[in-house]
Amino acid sequence: MPCTWVMACAYAPSGCAVACGGLDNKCSVYPLSLDKNENLAAKKKSVAMHTNYLSACSFTNSDMQILTSSGDGTCALWDVESGQLLQSFHGHAADVLCLDLAPSETGNTFVSGGCDKKANVWDMRSGQCIQSFETHESDINSVRYYPSGDAFASGSDDATCRLYDLRADREVAIYSKESIIFGVSSVDFSLSGRLLFGGYNDYTINVWDVLKGTRVSILFGHENRVSTLRVSPDGTAFCTGSWDHTLRIWA
Amino acid sequence: MCSSSNSIIQAQKLVDQLQIEAAMERFKISLTAADLVQYCQEHRRSDPLLTGISASSNPFKDKKTCVLL
Repeated sequence: MPCTWVMACAYAPSGCAVACGGLDNKCSVYPLSLDKNENLAAKKKSVAMHTNYLSACSFTNSDMQILTSSGDGTCALWDVESGQLLQSFHGHAADVLCLDLAPSETGNTFVSGGCDKKANVWDMRSGQCIQSFETHESDINSVRYYPSGDAFASGSDDATCRLYDLRADREVAIYSKESIIFGVSSVDFSLSGRLLFGGYNDYTINVWDVLKGTRVSILFGHENRVSTLRVSPDGTAFCTGSWDHTLRIWA
Repeated sequence: MCSSSNSIIQAQKLVDQLQIEAAMERFKISLTAADLVQYCQEHRRSDPLLTGISASSNPFKDKKTCVLL
């Protein structure tokens, strides 16, 4: 990678390409190949151009479009083949740190969270912000849709995770404890949506019961802050990445 | 002069955005929350992290009992 910090990466739905970016303000797509002799760096394609760092990227339902969020306060939808900007999303008043696409095939919305403490839900076709939630007390580091697509959870530097219902248009649950004072860097749901996993800056993972609002368990293992967390597609395990240079799989 | 017209434009955009958001049809939380609960119940069985995996299919199961020497 040409820049020092890679802050975001994403697999293409087909598994044939990877998109990544960071402090270089760009999102580049690399086609994957099992041929060791191929020089993958030469096949890199620069797709997105922002005026500040790239904080997150995600392919939409196909390999052909990529959604990016940036420190310049905007999100953007790009065509991978031509590198053309298809739609831009303005509305955040500060850096956008995370985004997540709605799960259904017909869904055309995504949610983004930013340093302005707001989580915005956007219509991908019109570029319009359709809903906005501002109840967090600090930067929102991670947003993730509930499996049914009717709600989403967010994790923030204010040490809480919150659940927002999209149809009722309000926050419905706060997952916090007085003993938890470190920010949440990353959240994800289990397959049924009953469990919410949060990776925290105090090196732990807290598992919350989404419906009861209580903590189910706390997991130790990392020796530095947990920076990212994702449940596997088959739901049997989840993986965490940390500043202690390790990736751990929990099952 | 220029800055005041800019702030008027900005304020107008804000008002437009708020009007769009206000016009959204909202459902009662008692109904939507029931849907969330129902989704959890329905998919409970297909969630391995919730219901656990049988010992025979678990590749990470300890093969031998722990022996203290």
